[in-house]
Order: sequence, then C-alpha cells, then structure tokens
Amino acid sequence: MTAPAVNTAVNGVVDPALDRVPSIDVSSTQQVPFGRLVSVELRKMTDTRAGRWLLGITLGVLVVAAGIVVIISLFDEQFSMTLSDWQGMLTFLTTMLVPTLAIMSVTQEWSQRTGLVTFALEPHRIRVILSKLVAVTLLALITLVLAAVIAVAGHAALAVTGVDVSWSVDGTDLAWTFYLQMVYFLMAFGLAMAILNTPGSIVVYYLVALILPNIVYGAVYFLLSWGPDVVPWIDLSYAVGAFRGEMPEVPSGTPDLGVGPILSTLVIWVVLPMGIGLRRILRAELK
Amino acid sequence: MIRVMSLTKRYGDFTAVDDVTFTCRPGRVTGFLGPNGAGKTTTMRVMTGLTPADAGEVTIGGHHYRDIPNPGRHVGVLLDASAQHAGRTGREILALGAKLMGLPASRVDEMLELVSLSDVESKRRLRNYSLGMRQRLGIAHALLGDPSVLILDEPANGLDPAGIRWMRGLLKDYSERGGTVLLSSHLLNEVELIADEMILIGRGKIVASGTKQQLLAGRAGGATHVMALDIPSLSTALSAAGLDISPAGEGLRVEADPVAVGKVAAAKQLVLTDLRPAEGGLENLFLELTADTQRESVTPEGVAV
Repeated sequence: MTAPAVNTAVNGVVDPALDRVPSIDVSSTQQVPFGRLVSVELRKMTDTRAGRWLLGITLGVLVVAAGIVVIISLFDEQFSMTLSDWQGMLTFLTTMLVPTLAIMSVTQEWSQRTGLVTFALEPHRIRVILSKLVAVTLLALITLVLAAVIAVAGHAALAVTGVDVSWSVDGTDLAWTFYLQMVYFLMAFGLAMAILNTPGSIVVYYLVALILPNIVYGAVYFLLSWGPDVVPWIDLSYAVGAFRGEMPEVPSGTPDLGVGPILSTLVIWVVLPMGIGLRRILRAELK
Repeated sequence: MIRVMSLTKRYGDFTAVDDVTFTCRPGRVTGFLGPNGAGKTTTMRVMTGLTPADAGEVTIGGHHYRDIPNPGRHVGVLLDASAQHAGRTGREILALGAKLMGLPASRVDEMLELVSLSDVESKRRLRNYSLGMRQRLGIAHALLGDPSVLILDEPANGLDPAGIRWMRGLLKDYSERGGTVLLSSHLLNEVELIADEMILIGRGKIVASGTKQQLLAGRAGGATHVMALDIPSLSTALSAAGLDISPAGEGLRVEADPVAVGKVAAAKQLVLTDLRPAEGGLENLFLELTADTQRESVTPEGVAV
C-alpha cells in the first residue's frame, strides 16, 4: 500500500516565504541575568532535604566541636589555642560535608535529570556552569564566615573559663586557611564536572581530600625512595604547609620548592578536572 | 511556528532521525505520532538544543532555540515529566522556574490552579506524585512563561481519560489563542483526540502527515462498512461489481470507498441502513506505515501478535 501524499501546503516542500520574517519577536526579551542564575543555583543547593541536612549537620558539628574544646580547656591547666587554630579546626570540619553540596549542584542535573529543564531554560551551558561555580564559591565563603563566627565565640568562651587567650590573628595563616577551603570546594566542583555522577564524585572527593593526605601521602613520603620527589607536587596541604611554617617533620636539607607545588596541585586537582568536565558538559547530550 | 528542515541525527551506524522535515503552524495542535524508538524524542531534544544535530536545522519562530533569550518566555518545553528532583515539592519546582524566568511568584499559584493541582498536592514532594500529577506539573512548568510555542513529549502519558479530555481542552484553547503546539505520542487515540494535524514518524523518517481526513483520503482502497435491509442482494450486487466483500458483524466489509459502495446500492435500488469508512482506518494506516518499526507483524485486519 502506498503512503498518502504528503500535504505540501503544510509539510514536505518548504515554502520559502514561510517564516522568513521571524514570527516570534525576541527583541524585547532580555537574556536571563547572570545574578539570577546564581541565586537560582544557590536556592537549588538548599531547597532539598539533602541540602538542608548537610548544612544543619555541619552547623551542629561545628558547635559541638567548639563545645568539646571549651570543656577540655576546663580540665587542662596548660591549655592554649590561638584564633588561627580555631579557624583552622572549624574550617577543616566544614570540608568534611559541605563540598558534597558543590558536587551535587553539578551531578544532580544528571542523576536527577533536572538538566533537561535547566539547560532548556538556559541553553548556554557555560553560563549555567559559571553560575554554579559562583554559587559554590559563595557557599565556601559562607562556611568560612560561619567557622569564623563560631571560632570567635569559642575563643570568647575560653576567655570566660579562665584560659589566657590572645586575640591577635596570624593573617598569613588565615589567608592559607581561606585558600585551602576554596581549593577544596573548587576541587569537589571540578571532580563532579568530570565524573557527572553523585556517588562516584563523592567517593573520589573524599579519597583525594581526606584519605590520600591523611593516610597515603605521609607513608609514601617517608617509606618510598621517590616519595619526597613526588608528594610535594600532588599534596595540597604539603604545598601549602611550607608557606604556613608547618611541616616540622620535613627532613632538613629539603630544597625550597617555592610556589611550584602550589601551582602543580592547583592544576592537578582543580584546573584539570574542570577542563575535562567542561568539555564533557558542553558536549553532553541531555537525556 | 516550528520548522524542522532536513534534520538528521545519527548514533554510530544507527540513524535515529533521518532527513526529517515538517512544520508546525500557529493556531494548530500538531501531533507527532510514531512507535517507541521512532525518533520523536530525539527530534524534540534537538529542537530545544539538548542534543546536537548532525545535519539540518530547527527554527522556532524563525530563531534557533539557542538564540532565543530567556527561552522559557517564548517556548514551553516538557520533555520528561519525571526529570525533576524527586525531593523538591511541586510548588518549589515551579517557583524555581518562575524565578529563573523573572516571573512574579503569583504565577506559580496561577499555574497550579490551571492544571488543577491543589494546595496540599503542590506541597508534596515529586517522588510522591503519580505520573498523571507529574504530567500536570510539567504542563504547568511549560506554561509558566506564557510562551507562544509548546513542545510536549508524551504529555498525555499517564493521564486518565478525564485528564486527556482536560488536556485536549487546554491545548485547543491555547492554540485558538494563536499558540503553536507540538505534542508527541505513541498512542494514536491520544493524538486523534487532541491534535488537529498529525505527523507520522517511523524509523526516523516522516511517513505521512496532514489532518485525519487528509490522511484517510489519500489512502487508496480504504474499506467501507455497510448495512442494508437486504444483505444477500447487496452481497450479490457488490460481488457482481467486482468488489471484495467479507461479512463483518451484522453488515459487510467492502474493500472500496463508501462512494463506490453507495453507487452499487443506488444502481440496484437497495436500501442502505449504514454506510461509513471501516473502523480503525487510521489505526491500520498507522500500523502499516510504521510496520517495519513495529515489533509485531501486521496483517490487513490489524495486528497479529
């Protein structure tokens, strides 16, 4: 049986006069302002149960940790703690959970398939990714401020309990704490972009951010002959440690590597994943 | 107005969309009909910039989708009603969309009312929504920005008969106000109910298009169902005229169009009590046109499973 003739008035042969003049006037419509994209992305990070729980638990952990420090100070005559110690400890605690929000901001578009809507409402994917990046940076800043507020409160509590406290702040150290915090969040974001899968990204993030530095790098550094040549270039906290006057255990005679490790760790853990991820996202097909 | 021109999308050796060309006009509901895997969804994803095309192009109102600023204000899109965060409430999903498009929050309530989702339902999380509720929410989301074009993939899927009737009314109303609607379905009944025009696609190719009447009119040898006071005489007359007949219920099925049957009856002065195109004409057409993409084999009488 033959197929019915295609109705050429409607379909098939395209009438060149049709639609030559755009039938939708877009001249009075503005592109979605970037700030609005950012505020929507911020809201998307906090409007789900997962988001609220992560933030709530983190706040709880910070308060409990500060409380424990104050209680310990009651029983330790020699107790001393600087404001930088406070900020360092509390900031580190925020890196335990909050970067998961940065990860999910990216991966949810795939795992929950919301990308179908997100990228239909803003077809310029680079703008969506940049708005997420800004939102994640803001989130990192908020956690730093939160940690600072609790640090000051905890420090004040120490003063009340009779510990001799100093209110001076080591600016350099604080700056490196901020730097590391930013790097952890951006690393989480970059890994998520490259992996595009929530559980996978979270596992890799914790491996790179917690397990490698705290368990693996130290052992490699001291036990393997090539350790001291490699670890400084891949370990974020080692790279920073040299500048913070930490790492007393570094053998004397270790050459001063300068900013080299800072740059190499930044490239390996932030720039590279983001580059790979950006390529993937700009080409990915949303299904 | 949506124009799809020579659109092709390949996945390796598999051509999902093969040189597809069609137009959806304002003021009309265009149904995009084809079996599962025929290329409907791929075509719609290309339209909205979510999938890159290998060849050809799509313009909406004369623009490439990517070049439409704040596209939600011009083109309402529903590709998959379940592609929303399961942990967000229906209201929150609409609120996010309204915020992004720069619409007042009151628009959310308007849309919820339009699609008959109650206040209580809107505060439930999406994972607790039935498919029908998700479709309603998806329609609400597509209509948020008061667009002049709607692109809906399987919007009636999961709706009960009352829901389908509701959607027909909604889309008719929308198109009568000048809107352009493209909706896809793998179910002929849905499209027949809702759409003014149909585009039939099978294995990535457009196999037919037009209104229901046009589709059936162009169909050579459409069958006719006929009843008469004197069936035996009619049978004899029709057979004598060289027409194939077979008994069908109380009457006869004749492999000819109603005019031919009527002429034979008139010549013999036989009284007809019923004369109409055989039921399932469109369905048979659809099955035949897309036969090589169906999993079941097709006989002239319908589907032999």
